[in-house]
Amino acid sequence: MFLDPRILIMFGANALLLYLSLLVNSALSSWSLYLVLLGPMLVLPAIFLRHRSYLLCILLTGLWVDAALPCQFGLLTLGFLTAGACIFQIRFRFRAEHNYHPIILSHSCNLFCIALISIATGFEYLSASSLWIQILITTVLSHGLLTIVAPWFFDLQRLLFELCRLETEPEDFPIL
Amino acid sequence: MAKLRLDKLKPLVALGVFLIAWWIMPPVIKSFLKISFTEFQAPSWVVSSYLEDIQGFWARRSHSKIELIEAGRELARKKAYYQYIAQRNESLEAEVDRLESILHMPTRREFRYEVARVVRRDLSAWWQQIIIRKGRDYNIPEGAAVIFSSGVVGRVVEVNAFTSRIELVTSPNFRMAATFETDGRPVIYQGVVQSGFGRATGSVNDAPQDIIANSQAPLKLVSTSLGGTFPPGLTIGTVSWLEPGSTGIFQAGEVTLDERLLSLHEVSVLIPLNPLELNNDVP
Repeated sequence: MFLDPRILIMFGANALLLYLSLLVNSALSSWSLYLVLLGPMLVLPAIFLRHRSYLLCILLTGLWVDAALPCQFGLLTLGFLTAGACIFQIRFRFRAEHNYHPIILSHSCNLFCIALISIATGFEYLSASSLWIQILITTVLSHGLLTIVAPWFFDLQRLLFELCRLETEPEDFPIL
Repeated sequence: MAKLRLDKLKPLVALGVFLIAWWIMPPVIKSFLKISFTEFQAPSWVVSSYLEDIQGFWARRSHSKIELIEAGRELARKKAYYQYIAQRNESLEAEVDRLESILHMPTRREFRYEVARVVRRDLSAWWQQIIIRKGRDYNIPEGAAVIFSSGVVGRVVEVNAFTSRIELVTSPNFRMAATFETDGRPVIYQGVVQSGFGRATGSVNDAPQDIIANSQAPLKLVSTSLGGTFPPGLTIGTVSWLEPGSTGIFQAGEVTLDERLLSLHEVSVLIPLNPLELNNDVP
């Protein structure tokens, strides 16, 4: 098949995760708390899909996230493609059938996204201590929650593959 | 020697191609992409906001009749009080109009108030914005002032078909002309990076040296008509201390903003009835 139908499920799951995280952020605003849960979005596409499908999925997810967040349009698309390319390069080293490796990857990608947003959006205020305190709180909270959210998210995607009678294993290795 | 596998470079090549394409892509295409994706996901936020309204409706329906009667009575009391205030306001406005016509003063800017529900709040270390449920469908203009019951909320920065994005007064990108309530001289208000834990703050700059603020009698910072966006007299926040600024000529200090800014549910957009013409009007 020219494109993997799992793109739709992965993109849909990513949109759902973003929607839920923004809903939670909206509710947490009175405590000035914020969550960044972007890391898990690019892990399974980079491990499971062939290059063409992976690229389309990541591109769509990146543009979707960029449109939803008030950062510069294209920033997270670029960030997702960069992080995705790194994972794609060494994806044969990861065990995709269990959650252990994807969770570690999602934490790394999430940290990368937080760093990217901080540099791109808060660069002129980097000297402000309050910015660092906020970023630290956001990072700790996000990664704390990610330990629960990431396994749920990956299991949800695998469950949807099963329900739609699609392949639940990654494409053949090495890279095709 | 190991054979170089070119297919391994595919993701890096794709990344490079994307970078070049994004760099040379005309802004109009980027703008089109952004608008398309934003408009595509806007209905989900509008729907969730309506669902929240329904949730509130059913929550209120569960109240007993006694509670509703009590609330109605309280509302009637408040209505009577506000009717009195409205009458007094009318007579004062007539008086102001009369005095203005005697003094041949220029006409003031008039605004239409568009009340809108907040559908989403994005308050983080990097951005301080909210999204409201009204956009081009209600003729919301970009740059319009946004207020709530306790004063200034922010400014409209992006208008979509059914939603608008508002930069909050707490954002470091927000800046406006202001005055102290007891002093007519203009100062500059600017948002700062928020320290968090439910405390909203800003900063005031260019305050004259003779103004003294202390925590016992904090000074009230209000909007001024100098910027042209906000009507004069709207509360921005209170200033408990002032210290010499970096130039040494003026003072600077911290502005304590209303905590309710962080959990807004409803705001009003001020739409000018006679928009400024930058070529002819001087704000």
